[in-house]
Amino acid sequence: MLKLRNIEKSFRHGLSQTFVLRRVNVDIPDGQFVSIMGPSGAGKSTLLHILGMHDSAWTGEYWLGEEPVHQLSAKDRMRLQKQHVGFVFQSYHLLDNLTVYENIDLPLSYRDVKKTERQGMVADILDRFNIVGKKDLYPNQLSGGQQQLVAIARAVVARPTIILADEPTGNLHSDQGREIMELFKRLNEGGTTIVQVTHSETNAAFGDRVIKLKDGWVVDEN
Amino acid sequence: MGIFRELRYALRSYLRAPGFAAVAVLTLALGIGGATAIFSVVDGILLRPLPYPEASRLVKLGRTTATGSMDGAFSAADFLDVRREGTSLVHVAGYREDISDLTGVGEPVRVPGVQTTAGFFDALGVTPLAGRVYTAADEARGGMAVISEGLWDRQFGRRSDVVGSQIRVNGIPTTIVGVVSASVRHPIKADLWNLAPGAVPTSPIPSGGLADREVQYFAALARLATGATMGDANAQLQAIGERLGQQFPETNRGESFHVRPLAATLVTDVRAGLLLLLGAVACVLLIACANVAGLMLARGLARRRELAVRAAIGASRWQIARQLMVEGLVLAAAGGAAGLILASWGVDLLVALAPQNLPRLGDIQLDWRVAGVASLATTAVGLLAGLAPVVQSSRPQVNEDLKDGGRTGTSIRTRFRSGLVVAEVALALILMIGAGLMATSLARLRAVDPGFHTTSMAAVDLPVPQSRYDGPAQGRFYSEVLGRLQDSPVTARSALVFPLPLRGSGASAAFDIEGRPSTGRPAQPIAELNIVSPDFFQTMGLRLVRGRGLASTDVEGRPPVVIINERLAREFGSEDPVGRRINLGDWITVVGVVSDARRESLAAAPQPALYLPYQQFVLPYMSLVVRTDASEAAVASAVKSVVRELDPDLPVETVRTIDQIVEASTDQPRFRTTILLAFSFLAVLLAAVGVYGLMSFSVSQRTSEMGVRLALGASPGQVGRLVLRQGLALAGLGVALGLAAAAGGGRLVASLLFDTSATDPAIYAGLAALLLTVAALACYVPARRAMRVDPMRALRAD
Repeated sequence: MLKLRNIEKSFRHGLSQTFVLRRVNVDIPDGQFVSIMGPSGAGKSTLLHILGMHDSAWTGEYWLGEEPVHQLSAKDRMRLQKQHVGFVFQSYHLLDNLTVYENIDLPLSYRDVKKTERQGMVADILDRFNIVGKKDLYPNQLSGGQQQLVAIARAVVARPTIILADEPTGNLHSDQGREIMELFKRLNEGGTTIVQVTHSETNAAFGDRVIKLKDGWVVDEN
Repeated sequence: MGIFRELRYALRSYLRAPGFAAVAVLTLALGIGGATAIFSVVDGILLRPLPYPEASRLVKLGRTTATGSMDGAFSAADFLDVRREGTSLVHVAGYREDISDLTGVGEPVRVPGVQTTAGFFDALGVTPLAGRVYTAADEARGGMAVISEGLWDRQFGRRSDVVGSQIRVNGIPTTIVGVVSASVRHPIKADLWNLAPGAVPTSPIPSGGLADREVQYFAALARLATGATMGDANAQLQAIGERLGQQFPETNRGESFHVRPLAATLVTDVRAGLLLLLGAVACVLLIACANVAGLMLARGLARRRELAVRAAIGASRWQIARQLMVEGLVLAAAGGAAGLILASWGVDLLVALAPQNLPRLGDIQLDWRVAGVASLATTAVGLLAGLAPVVQSSRPQVNEDLKDGGRTGTSIRTRFRSGLVVAEVALALILMIGAGLMATSLARLRAVDPGFHTTSMAAVDLPVPQSRYDGPAQGRFYSEVLGRLQDSPVTARSALVFPLPLRGSGASAAFDIEGRPSTGRPAQPIAELNIVSPDFFQTMGLRLVRGRGLASTDVEGRPPVVIINERLAREFGSEDPVGRRINLGDWITVVGVVSDARRESLAAAPQPALYLPYQQFVLPYMSLVVRTDASEAAVASAVKSVVRELDPDLPVETVRTIDQIVEASTDQPRFRTTILLAFSFLAVLLAAVGVYGLMSFSVSQRTSEMGVRLALGASPGQVGRLVLRQGLALAGLGVALGLAAAAGGGRLVASLLFDTSATDPAIYAGLAALLLTVAALACYVPARRAMRVDPMRALRAD
């Protein structure tokens, strides 16, 4: 269960203060597939990065299960993030100098997983995502859809309980986008909590619930 | 993540960005290699102790003349007094370079030799490789020699029975008592040190023996006595000098003695030049460090998105820092290795380029300590700069870095990098101005008219050993050689001279003019002393201004005569010097005046000079000058053939052209100018790379801004000029700082310049303009790229 209470984030500009998020209160039960929607500048990506613990400059309470994220040290947040969170970006953000295999292996190496164990886990993911044949290719040798597939493989290889996806189909054409969303759906059906930011009603329809943001406020939750 | 994997990824990342890697490695290599090579030279010559035990206690004795100038030459009596009374010194030994004609072992050979008194090796503390060295117990025995390891190899095939073998040195039976290692190189890289047959070295000219205080002809060294300091020794020697001045006012009034560390006396002439080169290489190293820092900062900024991705998928800051450090170390290792190769080549090149008269040339070797320090410095700078993104980044930035990919570099880092480029340009200009001043000075020095013919002229030294040639025999030998050579068409226009000009050596004499009261030693005028044959002036192209030249009838037994130069003629005021007499110990009549010529060096203006006929004042060190269109080989063949006919045991040295001698006289300024020019070229290249790198990076960071400007109606030219203006503003600031620093530091090089002002505005302005042009060219490529930005693509990429 993800639980946010009175989350606020703001920037100071001299004497004035600009709020990006205002008093956000959200509960996301385990295994839910949530879409965050709203116009540009509404605070969607900011909220996602707070959930992903990339951002620590906010106020309020954030509970991840029984863990009070808002009270944890940077080191403990890092541990929690490694344990639970996988991230998927709109622009894939695969590392250009690493092969498909190495990109997928990277999160495991950052988690100090033993080499033999890593080999098995990566092989399993390559097989599940049907990209064994592409394991020695570099990102620039793949199409956009294939790159996002690898990015998702990278996000799930460490077996996170939550996947956070920031407009995962934003750079893909509709067929590729649908395939990615179907993949998310399958992962969700496997028990993974999924939170995605999206502008697309079609993509949102793959999920269970939509949270709408506007000017930093949660304006609608169903 | 495993270190080997990080290493592999680092190598791969450089292979995929070879441009960056090549520039960084080359920059590191040039900085490390250049600094190490030059410092190795400076260390070998200036800093490293001499290769003798307790070398810091070795001193060279000197004489402070009545006019306050320093002189290293001693007379026999002064030396013996100092040795006897100077209790703060031990092993006081005299020595002088001397020709050493070696016979009795194959073909006669002439080797560089030194005649020393018995305590010479005791003073140096030399342990022989074989046999023994002569010691104080052998004083005045003569007939003993110590040879170098090199001569042992070449001439004796490293035979073990060389010790005790008999040879003839300058015709004198001599026993080789020992062999010393190649590291013994005092006062020159000699092959043979032979023991003087008396308490002092043999005088090259007639003198009053052990009681003589007039003829100063040999050097002296010693070791500080146990417990004595340099100050003690100097105080004692000064007291001895004062006593001798009172006791022998005719010869010693106003003179005193002193000691200086032996190592320092060897390098007095080259210290300023070497320190200048050290300063230059420090500039290059600083520029290299600035460049590496700039490159790593740029790379770090450009990789912020990648680092953010790594952080987002779970990398800790330490893991990211470790990856960056591994990458930095890979670069440093490659740069360091290439730098060491360059340093090794550089040391060999510097030794090959260095003038052969550079002291302690043989002590130069690659200095691993400096290589280590230079590598560490550049590596540390590179690592620190490379780690800047990690040090500065924190978790809250991940979101922003992912969005803009680090295109909006922080202004502090951009300003810092701009500052680095300004510093690089300033340092490069300082070096360019230093090199420009040196090059101008050298060109002006080489354009100096020495006052004699330099083309179609050959010269060869023709010294004869005193042991086989007494005064009259010397005169007969030279007369015979000259006569026979003048009969040959190749060497018809030959003459004898001592000394050959522009070799930095020679004799001087104090004199009085008849009819004027003698002022006594301190204020007595001094003139350069030359011994010549009658044809010398015509052969060398000195004009006869007044009176007559020397004649073949000016021989021993006839009234002594002398020719003076115009500079000395001025000492006579409005009176005609011809027919007047001057006193050089004996009265000599001036019979003619010739035009001025430079003797000591091209840089030194002509001094008052005396030309005495060799038939009246012969020395065993005459040289032959030949005016001929024939090759040096033809001259050498003719000279050898004549000498062999007269004395088969007398080796003939290498024939050189006067042009070569003139050229060699500018070896040291040419050496430092060449090095400075190379360094300034390097500095400009590195600074240009720095400007190019900064502007390229700036353009890549501002691609969308350029797109917006173009979309709003700016012409490509306007966008290009924007980039050029930005680059030139930085370069301009660097140039301004460089000009100010160069003008401030100019006095440091003033003493090394000939006929050139250290603040010559034309040189400053010309080089500043040149550097700005280079900077503009370095900005041109990034400017072109900015002009070609496609607004649609640039804006879409945003």
